[in-house]
Amino acid sequence: MKLLIEPSNKNNIYKDIVNGLIVSLKDYSVQSPIYYSLDEIKQLKINNPQLEIYVNINKNLLNNDIEPLKDILKELDTLNLNGIFFYDLALLKLKKELNLNTDLVWSQTHMVNNYKTCNYYHSKGVKYALLGKEITLEEIIEIIKKSTITSMVEVLGLPSVAFSKRKLITNYYKDLNKESKSSLDVLEKVTSSTYHLAEDKNGTSFFLKDIINGTSVIKDLYDNGLEYIIMRGYGIEEDLFLEILTDTRNYINDSCTDSNYVTKYEKLGTNTNFFFKKTIYQVKKNG
Amino acid sequence: MDRVELLSPAGDLERLKVTLSYGADAVYIGGQKYSLRANATNFSIEEIKEGCDFAHKLNKKVYLTLNIVFHNEDMDGVEEYIKEVVDAGIDAFIVSDPFIISHIKTNYPNVEVHLSTQNSTSNYSAVEYFKEEGIDRVVLARELSKNEIKEIIDKTKVDIEVFIHGAMCTCFSGRCALSNYVTNRDANRGGCSQVCRFAFETDEEKKFTMATKDLNMANHIKDLIEIGVKSLKVEGRMRSLYYLATVIGTYRELIDSIYSNALTKEKLELLEYRLSRVANREVSTHYFTKEADETDQYYTGRQEISNQDYLGQVIEYDNETKLIKFYERNYFEVGDSLELFTPSGEVISFNVEKLFDENKESIDVARHPDNIYYIYLDTDINIPEYSMIRLIKKRDV
Repeated sequence: MKLLIEPSNKNNIYKDIVNGLIVSLKDYSVQSPIYYSLDEIKQLKINNPQLEIYVNINKNLLNNDIEPLKDILKELDTLNLNGIFFYDLALLKLKKELNLNTDLVWSQTHMVNNYKTCNYYHSKGVKYALLGKEITLEEIIEIIKKSTITSMVEVLGLPSVAFSKRKLITNYYKDLNKESKSSLDVLEKVTSSTYHLAEDKNGTSFFLKDIINGTSVIKDLYDNGLEYIIMRGYGIEEDLFLEILTDTRNYINDSCTDSNYVTKYEKLGTNTNFFFKKTIYQVKKNG
Repeated sequence: MDRVELLSPAGDLERLKVTLSYGADAVYIGGQKYSLRANATNFSIEEIKEGCDFAHKLNKKVYLTLNIVFHNEDMDGVEEYIKEVVDAGIDAFIVSDPFIISHIKTNYPNVEVHLSTQNSTSNYSAVEYFKEEGIDRVVLARELSKNEIKEIIDKTKVDIEVFIHGAMCTCFSGRCALSNYVTNRDANRGGCSQVCRFAFETDEEKKFTMATKDLNMANHIKDLIEIGVKSLKVEGRMRSLYYLATVIGTYRELIDSIYSNALTKEKLELLEYRLSRVANREVSTHYFTKEADETDQYYTGRQEISNQDYLGQVIEYDNETKLIKFYERNYFEVGDSLELFTPSGEVISFNVEKLFDENKESIDVARHPDNIYYIYLDTDINIPEYSMIRLIKKRDV
């Protein structure tokens, strides 16, 4: 099992601990703490030949994005990257049109939820799928077992919950007649849960401000043959993130047999997201 | 030249029949499985067949939404279900999952597949991808401008459908799981609890809200026709009969007026006024002419306007006695000014001169919703079942 991270600090990529990095391409990705220019990605690859490097292009693309993106994709394709995470299906069209060699990772945030659709994408040349965060561990394992695609599962980080093209923070502060900010925490009172909103020129991202602690499911994923877990550093103090990554590296190297690992990281909280919680499908049964 | 399609929602068989009667060219419905409105009444296979038979006799079409984001368990039985729906006579499926698209196009090449707005398709390359997959129509993301829609049509030549009226999502469709996290209801499988209409606490003096105004494109229908949009879609499978009759009837008149060069400024204003009388929120065109901004949202929590214009739904009209038999919906009285509108677009204005209860005893006031009443109206115009009565002006006191 390999460990990938999305760093939240360009100066600290934990290159001696992790197997690879997911870096978000500036102007063409959203819901990330930091963004990399094409030149920065080139340097990252040159300076870290031992790391698997994946580029995240997960914006809902507009017509105006397509032509400039083609040029970027051609350049990225020369870097021998390990993959491109995509949300917009334009990427499938462009890979074919430009005859790109770089592998693709199906990464449609809340949509990667069943093995048949994973198999569909695999049949279209997509090598990997980052599974949705709103499905259960049981569903994840079924996908791993039944799908031909290589699955990835996010086990640590602030869950991205929604994305709007609207400038929701700007609009809020305009109504308040105050100077806007780039981020805002809002509290949903019934559940006492806080959501972190971050706005940039592409729109507004929503994160649940409660770290997913999937340390307890890593063993199950490992035992069932998952090839990649992902940890995201956004919202986690760097020292703690370093500690988690180091321990996780050792835990994986030890075939996930050290029960102290899970006990130790109970300190990260009880939010196991939807690993053990099924969402309600129909509120009311129809006759 | 093909005329643009007016596509109506229909939450049940009655709504299907009413909206087609009021001028929709096609309706979209949900089955009892796999639809994004899990709490709508939705259609059984027998009802889908009856709806298709009804529509096809009018030379109109029925589309079925099959646009949930599938989990493993949802895949069990879906292929059999698709076959049953095809056998019931469906004209098209509205789908977001490309595996399902591929399955339908492979097995039922004569049945159309429309790409759901749940995919938030927002550029010509993505449309071209689905064109190569055999998609017949794409329902675009609601975040696009007129120029962006036009460029997609020009470059891809794929049939494009856009929303013209109804509620809007705050986030990209398919890219919002707020409902999952806040209420544990799966937004992408029909359980959306509309968390974007909640109010949230912040450190500021006012709560944070992000609720959007509704979409109303009446003033831009001509633009949409001119840039080559093929289908104009109204949102609202769970809306009332009166709402659907008013909205569909009004857009029917608007579209027909455009094609017959009869749309004057005054007529457009009248039609927009009619739409405004069934609206329960303010309206906007959102992204069509500008980037959506602070004017497209609410800031003080959910603000819904309720009006009592809807007075009754006609059961029948007796040409001998000149009595309209109807179900009452809101209080009115003798002396009020009313309008009656029919599925074929007739509008009759009149004052209530005589009003009767269910036993045809003369009364002054119709007080009780759902009760049957009679109004006297002397007219030669055909007043069929499902004609609607609305208030124009209360009597002068």
